[in-house]
Amino acid sequence: MRGCGCNQGCGVDGRCLILIVCCKTLEMTNKTYHSTKPKEKAKAWQSWWCCSQQSSLSSPSSPPLSPTSMAPSSPKSRQFTSSGLDRGSLSYKRKVCHPKGALHVVAASGTKKTLIMGGTRFIGVFLSRLLVKEGHQVTLFTRGKAPVTQQLPGESDSDYSDFKSEILHLKGDRQDFEFVKSSLSAEGYDVVYDINGREAAEVEPILDALPNLEQFIYCSSAGVYLKSDILPHCEVDAVDPKSRHKGKLNTESLLEARGVNWTSLRPVYIYGPLNYNPVEEWFFHRLKAGRPIPIPNSGVQITQLGHVKDLATAFVQVLGNEKASKQVFNISGEKYVTFDGLAKACAKAGGFPEPEIIHYNPKEFDFGKKKAFPFRDQHFFASVEKAKHVLGWKPEFDLVEGLADSYNLDFGRGTYRKEADFTTDDMILNKSFALQS
Amino acid sequence: MAALASSSSSSSLLFTTPPSKLPSPSSLCPFPRLSLPISSFLSSPLSISPSSLPYPTTSTRCFASFTVRAAAAADKKKVLIVNTNSGGHAVIGFYFAKELLGSGHEVTVMTVGDEGSDKMKKPPFNRLSEITSAGGKTLWGDPANVGNVVAGTSFDVVLDNNGKDLDTVRPVVDWAKSSGVKQLLFISSAGIYKPTDEPPHVEGDVVKADAGHVGVEKYIAEVFISWAIFRPQYMIGSGNNKDCEEWFFDRIVRNRPVPIPGSGMQLTNIAHVRDLSSMLTLAVEKPEAASSNIFNCVSDHAVTLDGMARLCAEAAGLPVEIVHYDPKAVGIDAKKAFPFRNMHFYAEPRAAKDILGWEGTTNLPEDLKERFEEYVKVGRDKKPMKFEIDDKILEALKVPVAV
Repeated sequence: MRGCGCNQGCGVDGRCLILIVCCKTLEMTNKTYHSTKPKEKAKAWQSWWCCSQQSSLSSPSSPPLSPTSMAPSSPKSRQFTSSGLDRGSLSYKRKVCHPKGALHVVAASGTKKTLIMGGTRFIGVFLSRLLVKEGHQVTLFTRGKAPVTQQLPGESDSDYSDFKSEILHLKGDRQDFEFVKSSLSAEGYDVVYDINGREAAEVEPILDALPNLEQFIYCSSAGVYLKSDILPHCEVDAVDPKSRHKGKLNTESLLEARGVNWTSLRPVYIYGPLNYNPVEEWFFHRLKAGRPIPIPNSGVQITQLGHVKDLATAFVQVLGNEKASKQVFNISGEKYVTFDGLAKACAKAGGFPEPEIIHYNPKEFDFGKKKAFPFRDQHFFASVEKAKHVLGWKPEFDLVEGLADSYNLDFGRGTYRKEADFTTDDMILNKSFALQS
Repeated sequence: MAALASSSSSSSLLFTTPPSKLPSPSSLCPFPRLSLPISSFLSSPLSISPSSLPYPTTSTRCFASFTVRAAAAADKKKVLIVNTNSGGHAVIGFYFAKELLGSGHEVTVMTVGDEGSDKMKKPPFNRLSEITSAGGKTLWGDPANVGNVVAGTSFDVVLDNNGKDLDTVRPVVDWAKSSGVKQLLFISSAGIYKPTDEPPHVEGDVVKADAGHVGVEKYIAEVFISWAIFRPQYMIGSGNNKDCEEWFFDRIVRNRPVPIPGSGMQLTNIAHVRDLSSMLTLAVEKPEAASSNIFNCVSDHAVTLDGMARLCAEAAGLPVEIVHYDPKAVGIDAKKAFPFRNMHFYAEPRAAKDILGWEGTTNLPEDLKERFEEYVKVGRDKKPMKFEIDDKILEALKVPVAV
């Protein structure tokens, strides 16, 4: 069978559902294929790229844009590369048509009216861009303290203005439950992404306001798992009702109890450009200052970092995905890392020499309210095999690559969220020096 | 579908494993895409109709489930197990033989050495009657002479569970190939992985080039078409030839401190041997899926060294006192003092899950209870024992011991 029946002479084999979907997209955009408008042109090219990749037949007409800029991605293609988000958009779109279940289902199920609670600081900045690219209508619910949109480092002016022109803002305080209920009810949304919720009470008004909600997608935390000698944490493992993150657990329970179609993602430590939790930044400050890295106890404690862009991808992959219905997924990097190893990885990523690491016994110090080290002093890592097997999701970034991405787009350009504070370091180093002398 | 299958060029674009992660030889790839060019294209249409798949979407799983349906009515296999006569791996062959027999396959176990040797008095060798009473054959001999030992019997599958180096295994591999054996399985070791700051060890990670097992793995990949390699860590289970949990029980029941080198936070992987056996059995029953793959033959959980001590104590219903020490400072060889590696040594069985649909069943809290029951049943808790190295450690640390 030749041709998918779109009557546009695209020449794409139409046996595969994905191809049909792509072709339909192509059919719709065929009129604009030779458009002079760059955005429409890019969209049409994306669809063409999708279809041609699936069929591996050469398109009867060559693409209008230079193939080198949109070349078949190497195995390391990124949705958002250090060299620019504009390049990334096409390799991202390739992923959309990639037969991994969720994404093509999204394309088939149409655009969603989507609300993101938050979305202006970190995860949401990347997630909202992916959703807009997917063609969804995206509203950010924030108090407006931070700018609703900001141009990302490496993002082209045209990509940013496209995004800025599409994104919507609903200004409000989510702690004002009455306002949440009335404003959401007035708007009506198909899908809610709650990426800044901490307590179950904050979610009640959202559910009350949207009785026909198709999906509630929640950013939970692997911090809910009960500490164990047996690791990694898996989604079925015991959770700790007394943990610092019990609000997240309570929210998950509420979602289950309310019978809504929910999905919960549990990240471990998130990192990447714009991170406001000083994870990689903590190491970069010390490396830049040429200071030793003080690490508590043995340094063999194992933790796990997950790149924010991989998390954003996971959030998109669960949208409209039956397999994600009422499911919890751990989302983080595929490999774990020791504390000592993380210090070395940050150095490698930033092009610094191998750091001097000083181990110390935290019990010998009183740091007051200050945190001497950004990670919990224990093993803490979760298996992401469920997300890989059920969703077909896979992290794009390995640790050093991801840290380099963060460094190149953020700290390495001179931007960071928290000023360096070496008070606790000096306490440790002074004592260590005193012991040696 | 045939038209699609011929266009295998874009199959490489559908997979994202960075080339740098592939070990040499390049055929030792954890996923079968190189040997099964059809799989990527079968996967595309298969994954489009999600209702037709019990599992979603990774193409390798699609192929695995596809093969399973075809292999459901699989013929029974004639399997030869060349089994070591000592050490931690001996019990693997024992369980594997029993599981295969239970599934209706024909099994011959060739134990290295002489039937009359003292080694045969220890488990699992003193229980080989369990193999023969289940219909299996047991033989003894020199692997270099395997063809004569099995007296011209032909086999479909050979598992070599005897090799640390090429000199030992090569004769078995060569004989298997020349006598028409279809599938060669080899028990290697996860100990060949290069230590890393980023655990776990996954299939495809760099291995130590000079390790004996590596030479065997390479040779097998060159010589055989249908091969699979298994890299185990530690195991527990009745019939084990080497102490594992017993090391902890010995100290716990005698109210002695448990000396653990380093921080005690080191991760290790301790599997019940039935998990290893089930993985091997799946490879026999899904040979196309298993072919040309390396599998970490381990449980799907890590445990810390301190954690293992605690779990053993809980299984015994007794308290435990853990004492940490620096082997260098005390002046002892940690290898002699302690049965596990003094470092993170943690592999995950990702290939087995992805490719064979294998599931882990090891449950240390439960399994150790059963192990402790047997420990007591055989009277080992009452056996008089010396703890010379322990005493040296405790002396150095000035830790009192209940007399």
